Amino acid sequence: MKKFFSILGLILTFFMIYFLQANFFTWFHIAGVKPNLFVVFILFIGLFVGNKLGFVFGLMLGIYLDLLIGKTVGISGFMLGIIGLIGEYLDKNFSKDSRITLIFMVMGSTAIYELGQYFFQILRWKFDIEILPFITTLMVEVIFNAVLVIILYPLIQKVGNGLEKVFKSKSVLTRYF
Amino acid sequence: MYRNKKTGMIGIMITIVILILTVVLSNIDVQKMSYLENAFNAFVMPIQNGLTYLKNKIEGNSSFFTDINKLQEENEELKRKNSELEQTLREFEIVKAENETLKEYVNLKDKYQNYQTVPAYIINKDITNYNQMIVINVGEKDGIKADMTVIADQGLVGHVISTTQTTAKVQTIIDTASSVSCNISTSREPIIVTGTLERDSTLRASYIPTDATILEDDKVETSGIGGIYPKGIPIGTIREVVSTKNITDRYAYVETAVDFKKLETVLVITK
Repeated sequence: MKKFFSILGLILTFFMIYFLQANFFTWFHIAGVKPNLFVVFILFIGLFVGNKLGFVFGLMLGIYLDLLIGKTVGISGFMLGIIGLIGEYLDKNFSKDSRITLIFMVMGSTAIYELGQYFFQILRWKFDIEILPFITTLMVEVIFNAVLVIILYPLIQKVGNGLEKVFKSKSVLTRYF
Repeated sequence: MYRNKKTGMIGIMITIVILILTVVLSNIDVQKMSYLENAFNAFVMPIQNGLTYLKNKIEGNSSFFTDINKLQEENEELKRKNSELEQTLREFEIVKAENETLKEYVNLKDKYQNYQTVPAYIINKDITNYNQMIVINVGEKDGIKADMTVIADQGLVGHVISTTQTTAKVQTIIDTASSVSCNISTSREPIIVTGTLERDSTLRASYIPTDATILEDDKVETSGIGGIYPKGIPIGTIREVVSTKNITDRYAYVETAVDFKKLETVLVITK
């Protein structure tokens, strides 16, 4: 039952993030560049929930985003799914209790996600690569995401630990006993 | 003795300073001192007001209590009138906004009367930094199909790429994957304009013929080639021509006629 409500809460959070991206960040931006809270959200699920839920959420929510506003259905789904898997990999190899580590994880994931998106779009639509404008936009986006994580860190840790208890309690026991 | 001498010197110094300050202050224009006056007033006046209020209350105690009921009634009446006025103002603003939207539609319809069009609102804009898609509030049930051209009062917006029953997804001309065949309206030279990541409302014109003369402020419009966009729809104005070593590689920046940041209403050309 706890798992059901946690998943429901995550789905509601996704919609909240969607409305923030579509409304609030259209005017609260840095030089026209918006953050990408979807990457932060899916990485968060991968890190704290695990059990391949990061991948599943990333895939499903990415496809949903593509259907809502994307040019091609599947690219966001695929890339967010990858971010979910990266989150699980990082959880196994690094400590997420440090704010700095978490910030670097978010920065790296944002860069991987946007590079992947751009690469697939170039393959699909065959447009010219604009290296400098892309890197400039990406850097601002990465910094924006990092700043938001600094602000949201206490909330991320609190909610994350709660979700970890719900989804990972059994695996922790087997690890130690 | 020494102590007294020192005290005396300090006293003299203070006096000299006070004197100089008095001379300086007395020679300053009063108007220039208004900020000081304001500061002192801000400090003193609330206390002064409170004291005056207390004095009046003590002096005219009886009239104060009789007047207060009258004032309360008057206050209630004014509040009621104020809320009525606010309501009227809100209604007026709604009517004004509707009027402006309808005017925009009429202008659009007049301008593109050769085409059969469906008016639409933009209900969603892209949430990422690298795509420039929009969603409009008309769909299949309004006769909208993929590849239909979308325009605004000032010029070309883009084309429909997919539809649902009630909405349509539009790829704008400023999207990086967008490519439109155009003509320079004066010289009729053919060019291709594509979206860029650099700035909103800026397109990159390439494939400029080597013998073509392109100047700043030349108008750019659709050529009709490609099967999606009808001929002669304004796209924008040449803002900058960038020369390269190889003349075949030269390109230009085109400022779009449509201000995509402020875009709210569009028309979909159905025929």
